[in-house]
Amino acid sequence: MRKLFAFLLVALLALPATALAANDAQNVEGLRKQVKDLSQRLDEISGRINKNTIKRAVDRFNWYGDMRVKADTLHYRDVTFNPGIQVDFTDFANKAMNGDFGDPNDATSPLGQMLAANPALATAFQNGQLQGIMPYAFAPKKTYDVDNDILYTTRLRLSFRAKVWKNVKFSARLNMYKNWGDSTGVKVFDSWNSYTMDGTDGGNTTGDWLRVERAYFAWHDIAGSPFYLSIGRRPSTYGPPTQFRENEPRGGTPSGHLVNFNFDGVTIGYSLGRITGVEGQVLRFCYGQGYESQWGNGELFNSVDTRDTHLGGFNFDAINDGTNFLQFTLFEALDVTDGFKGLIAFPTQFAQFFAPTLNQDLQKFPNFNFVTRVQPSTNIGNITLGGIGFSRKEMNGINWFGSVGWTRSDPNGHAGMFGGLLSDAVYKAQLNQDKTEIIMKPAGATSDAPKNGWSVYAGIQVPAPLGKAGLEYNYGSKYWTPFTQAQDDMVGSKLATRGHVVEGYYIFDINPKMFIKVGGIYYDYNYTNSGSPVGTPQKVSDVKDGKSYSLLPVVDTAWDGYASMTVKF
Amino acid sequence: MVNSLYTKPLTLDARGASATWEDCIMELAKKLIACLAILAFTASVALAAEGGNPRKGKYLYKKTCRTCHSPGKEGGDLTPQSKTQAQWDRYFKENKHKAKPGVWEKYSPQDLKDINQFLYDHAIDSDQPETCG
Repeated sequence: MRKLFAFLLVALLALPATALAANDAQNVEGLRKQVKDLSQRLDEISGRINKNTIKRAVDRFNWYGDMRVKADTLHYRDVTFNPGIQVDFTDFANKAMNGDFGDPNDATSPLGQMLAANPALATAFQNGQLQGIMPYAFAPKKTYDVDNDILYTTRLRLSFRAKVWKNVKFSARLNMYKNWGDSTGVKVFDSWNSYTMDGTDGGNTTGDWLRVERAYFAWHDIAGSPFYLSIGRRPSTYGPPTQFRENEPRGGTPSGHLVNFNFDGVTIGYSLGRITGVEGQVLRFCYGQGYESQWGNGELFNSVDTRDTHLGGFNFDAINDGTNFLQFTLFEALDVTDGFKGLIAFPTQFAQFFAPTLNQDLQKFPNFNFVTRVQPSTNIGNITLGGIGFSRKEMNGINWFGSVGWTRSDPNGHAGMFGGLLSDAVYKAQLNQDKTEIIMKPAGATSDAPKNGWSVYAGIQVPAPLGKAGLEYNYGSKYWTPFTQAQDDMVGSKLATRGHVVEGYYIFDINPKMFIKVGGIYYDYNYTNSGSPVGTPQKVSDVKDGKSYSLLPVVDTAWDGYASMTVKF
Repeated sequence: MVNSLYTKPLTLDARGASATWEDCIMELAKKLIACLAILAFTASVALAAEGGNPRKGKYLYKKTCRTCHSPGKEGGDLTPQSKTQAQWDRYFKENKHKAKPGVWEKYSPQDLKDINQFLYDHAIDSDQPETCG
């Protein structure tokens, strides 16, 4: 613009002199025409600039996003359903002998009905074999394979940013993630992956609803210091080093090996690099709330006896220079609960096991699953997580990374329906309110001893014709309990696996805004309950052999072949 | 271990006939190869204009450009985020460091391509890390 004005000024000043000197009317006329043309052009440009200025002033934020369409073929092998619970039979026998459950020889008494419905239990009871804590099987063990030849999903992410002030930014991402042919937003509860809840709905198919995956502001350079403050729904999913398999820049702040979970909270950061000179060095203290125990839980009935779950810890990007990335993480979740607030479609199988009366009615509606809201019943203890991750981008285009993680659980001995913290529930028999039926209620956990788990995650990505190829491996031990349940792998978060996982993929970079990814993930589970802090991780082989029980089906191995196309805009 | 998955006979209801895992995999593989062949053509056309190595570009940018283009230095602060992707491309195509053409001539065409790619990849309108800071 300045150049244009200068040119116009020079042209206007030069006009009379040129005309006088040349005394050429034709030239004067030509120059006048040029000035007129330039004036018109200037008016046009000014108009456009005005429009842009107004648009920029009223456009408070910038939109961008991406859409991924994916096809998965899922194959589960040796899925075993061997439902059962641990029962305190000494307590049961004492109550029965005391007559608390009625006369065992009276077929109409609660005990008589129970023994009639369970001949094996009746025999054991009559022979005095019911002692100590023993498993109580609900149904005969079943082992089968499950094949879902094709499963399509669409994930739409709409992101936007706004510059609130020179040192304040706002960011948000709205997410729709659905499988084709379903927008109910709930699933039949056959695994912890089938649970619609706050922490995982960003990475779990929940229908055609646009949900707020993240929304936060970041206030940098507070009072000219290296401190910054960020509050809101956190960017706590798709963290490093998982961005390589996602083929995108770092997608979240914390280590993706330890945390891939939506939660609300606060980060206080300190740009240490401004002092040390190490590029990208940032120290952060993060705080969040994973569970609100009162609000929304019927608090005015005054029957809530759980506590809130709070998380806090440190996250340190020691090096982040665009080539090398080194991150340390250490945080703790206090008062973890035996589940979350969430929605499920009630599995009819549970009525069969726990609610015979309800089961009688549900048999008339075999394909109906009532949708119900679930909330935790108790706090089960604390979980500590720590890890070190390193990644490097080589000059020749190769990317590689390695990460080790550690988790420690400190159970408090309490348990809900599915168990305590990495321990099973011990059920005790009691009469229902009208004393017509014996029901089983969790009374405690099988163990309150601390347990340590660990995991390793490594991978490499190499340039290949038309794109890149990647190979990743991760292993999780028996008690490995990270918070990665929102990782959107269809079989379940691969990084939460208690066992071995191998993934290979090929990414075709069609252009900078589009890519196609083809790959496969193979899961070999060693222990049950991957991704859940609730319940004792049982050896999968023991469940298959009928030596151990689980209220949810247990998968031995699984294979997920996939192809996806992602478009960024 | 993976092979054991393929050895079991499987009945596919949708096809109404029995097929083994090998058959299924072979069929999928054929379709995949056909798709990849199409992709290879489209992708190679789309990528014909590329060619810069952003990692080498970053090295060169830090080693040379930043010596002048830093806060308080002669060229003023200039980062990849100082321009949009289109502006960086235009700069390398048209401007070519007009302020000091001599600087431009020190670089080989490939060096310039590498720097251009790095600046393009990290421009203000490029994909950015999604962290809180």
